[in-house]
Amino acid sequence: MVIYPAVELVRASLGRYSITGLHQGAVGLRNYARLVGQEALPAVAGNTVVWVAAVVALTIALSLGLAQLLNESFPGRRLVRWALIVPWAASLIMTSKLFVWLYDYYFGLLNRVTAAAGLAPLDWLGDDRTVMGAMIAVGVFVSLPFTTYVLLAGLQTIPGEVYEAARVDGAAGWRSYRLITLPLLRPALLVAAVLNLIYVFNSFPIVWTLNDRNPGFAHDTMITFMYKIAFKSALRDVGLAAALGVVNVLLILVAVIAYLRVARWREEPV
Amino acid sequence: MIQNNQPPDVLNLNSFSSYAKDGLLYSGDEALSPRTREDFLEAFARGGTYRDKLYGFPILASARAFFYNRDLLAKAGVTAPPRTWDELVQAAKRVQALGAGTIGYALPLGPEEAQAEWSIWMWNNGGDWKAGEAWAINSEKNLQALQFLAALANTHKVTQINPGKTNRTDGAFQLFKDGKVGMVIGFSPLAAQLDAEAKVRYGVTQMPTNVGTPVTLGVEDYLMAFKKKGNQEAVRQFLDLYYQPEQITRWITAEGFLPVTKSGRERMSSNEKLKPYLDALPSARLAPTTDPTWDKVKLDVQQSIGAAVQPGGDPKQVLDRLQKNAAESAR
Repeated sequence: MVIYPAVELVRASLGRYSITGLHQGAVGLRNYARLVGQEALPAVAGNTVVWVAAVVALTIALSLGLAQLLNESFPGRRLVRWALIVPWAASLIMTSKLFVWLYDYYFGLLNRVTAAAGLAPLDWLGDDRTVMGAMIAVGVFVSLPFTTYVLLAGLQTIPGEVYEAARVDGAAGWRSYRLITLPLLRPALLVAAVLNLIYVFNSFPIVWTLNDRNPGFAHDTMITFMYKIAFKSALRDVGLAAALGVVNVLLILVAVIAYLRVARWREEPV
Repeated sequence: MIQNNQPPDVLNLNSFSSYAKDGLLYSGDEALSPRTREDFLEAFARGGTYRDKLYGFPILASARAFFYNRDLLAKAGVTAPPRTWDELVQAAKRVQALGAGTIGYALPLGPEEAQAEWSIWMWNNGGDWKAGEAWAINSEKNLQALQFLAALANTHKVTQINPGKTNRTDGAFQLFKDGKVGMVIGFSPLAAQLDAEAKVRYGVTQMPTNVGTPVTLGVEDYLMAFKKKGNQEAVRQFLDLYYQPEQITRWITAEGFLPVTKSGRERMSSNEKLKPYLDALPSARLAPTTDPTWDKVKLDVQQSIGAAVQPGGDPKQVLDRLQKNAAESAR
């Protein structure tokens, strides 16, 4: 089940295909060489790094706060915990379409809010300066629930006695959070980071939907670029797209291994 | 499906020539009865021909037309819809001057359907995609047309914001349906939506032209039949049933499209709603779908022509590049 598509992907990346998808023979590694020569590749790679790094970092930072909040007992906690699941349960295309209208220059709610604050309206999804930020905001929004729950589960494994002991030793507030909570939360943080890394890197619907009005490849990530190579650009090339697919799998593998190395290396002195 | 060696028996698509080029299709002689073949309207049969044989069987057609908001034009003091490009600029300026977010002309050159919008402007300046057999995307007339569109956006400022990044369905049409736009290029499905919403009083007329005779874009969809072992007789029977005059006309009427057969045109000529489009059909031109290179050129136009009308865009550079890519693909 896992191996067959992978084998097919590699096989496709070594072939030459006509625009209709007809296989026209093997070309060895030529698709990979052509991929490196794509003019748009540096920009797309840069976008991918910004997209993944920003979404994962912001998601984890915000989720730490949210998890802490939901770990405290307050009236209506159960309701808030449930409400948090909604963005996660909703279809990504639906969520993205909703944000398309929120960001719209003429109809969008966001421009009404900024207008009330005395600011000029912006074409959030058409303006080259704001597209990436607008996409990142949606990426964070949909990643928060899962991440918060992973961290919340992590918080609940920390026994109360540890905090009591810390209090006796005179550590409280921020100090206790930094010295007790964060180190003990490390396994949960590790899981959240790695899963988000993979998930955000592979995310297609958000970037596709919010960027669909912009011609060219200036705001694409490696994933949407792969789709455009195969179906939506003058290249129309399944072989080339498959080569990028193989590269994508290897990249995310390397990124995850590198992250785990660094995380473990930091763990040792503890 | 082609990639997995599992082609369908029959496929409905808006392009066919790449499949014909790859030798995957039955020709009309193999898959259609003579009576069906002869019923196709000449222009649409020509639009389905690759190397002198019919491979793309016309299934439906639509034609674009020029839509205008009657109330906005009247309020702006424009008494009749523009017939020339100069009149268009004047009318658009007056509508735009109404203020309060009103837009003169909504220009969608984003990736969704940029090639359609662009074809119409190009043709109404006397330009074309090809000169004879060769691609001629960066011809002088085409360049003038694109510079005109860029001027609409950036010099006269009578379009919506970022026309190079506006799609048709959720962009230009949405704004027109909301009553914010004076003029837009539409087609019969837009008319159906406007009628259903009954919010905007609109008129439909022919395109403003810069060369005397207005031209519009006709769009043709195709049925094609894939060669598979033992399916020829079944495909033939299916297609003959499908193209029986009462069958195809009922379907085309229900969907609000235009007829592609002589018998269908006779049956539908009395339909008042379709009159502007049926009238436009004789002056309608098709995109060069008979050239397999078109399938790539179309995508290239969708992904790049918008850049030419953005602030600081360079129409000449965009067209030169499209021409270079098309010439390379054609080789």
